[in-house]
Amino acid sequence: MPVVSESLPLRRVAARTRLDFWFDAAILVGYTIAYSYGFTGVVIHEWLGIALGVALLLHITLHWDWVVRTTGRLLRPRGPDKLIWLVNLALLFAMTLCVASGILISRVALPELRISLPLDDPFWDRAHTLTAEVTLGLVPVHVALRWRWIAGVGRRLLARRPR
Amino acid sequence: MRFLRQLAAVTAIVAVVVLVGLAWHHFAPDSFGGQGGPGPHRFVVRGQAATAVHRGVKVPAGVELNGGGLSGIPSIQLGDLLEPVNLAVLWNTAWIEAAVIAAVVIADAGIRKRRRARR
Repeated sequence: MPVVSESLPLRRVAARTRLDFWFDAAILVGYTIAYSYGFTGVVIHEWLGIALGVALLLHITLHWDWVVRTTGRLLRPRGPDKLIWLVNLALLFAMTLCVASGILISRVALPELRISLPLDDPFWDRAHTLTAEVTLGLVPVHVALRWRWIAGVGRRLLARRPR
Repeated sequence: MRFLRQLAAVTAIVAVVVLVGLAWHHFAPDSFGGQGGPGPHRFVVRGQAATAVHRGVKVPAGVELNGGGLSGIPSIQLGDLLEPVNLAVLWNTAWIEAAVIAAVVIADAGIRKRRRARR
C-alpha cells in the first residue's frame, strides 16, 4: 500500500469521480443555458440541445452500473435509491422526448446538416414545450437527490491545495 | 469494449423511448388539445425584460419583437446572445433550478435528521 502524506487523502479524488463531477456540472450548465431560449437564440439553442442529447447518452452510459444494480434491487421492500430511480426514469423519458421533438421541429440545425423532415405538426411543438417544462422540474430534483455526493466531491475538488 | 456495450444498451433504451413518443403521436395526435397554438414562446423584446407571449396575444404598439413575430418561433440572431436584457431569461431558469434544489436538499436533510433522532 502506498504511503501518502496526511493531507493527501482528503484531497485525492479518483479520476473517474473527477470526470463524473465535471461532466455532470457541464451538462447542468449546458442544460440551463439551452433551456433559456430567449438568452441563447435559436441557433445555439438547437445545437446545444443536440449536444445535450449526446451528453445524455454518455451520462447514462457512465452510470450504467448504477442503473443495472438499482433496477435489480427495486423489488426489495426497503431497497435504497427507489425514489432516485423513479425520478431518473421520468427524466429519461422527458429529456429524450424533449431532445427528439426538438430535433423534429428544428429550423436551423437540421437544414444546416442538409436534413429535411416533412413535418408540420403542432404536436411536436407542444410536446417540446411540455417536456422541456417537465425537465425543468426534474433536473434540479435529480441534482438535489445527490447533494451529499456533490457537496463531498465538490469540497475535495475545490479545496485549496497546500502550498 | 465494455463501454461500447453499455453505450449500445443505453442507445437501445433511448430508441425505445423515442418510439414511445412516435407511437404517442400516431395514436393520440390531439393529446395536447386541438385549439389554439402551441404553448407560450419566449420572445425577446428589445430594450425591455424578456417576456413570454402566447399566440394570439396582441402586442402593444411600439413594442418590437425579434424575428418571426407571433406566427412562429422567433428567430433570435446570434448577436442577441449575452445581451444584458436577455440575461433575465437565463437568471430566471437558474432561479427556478436553485429553488427546487434548495427545497429538495432541505427536505432531504430534515428527513435524515428525523430518522437519526428516531434511532
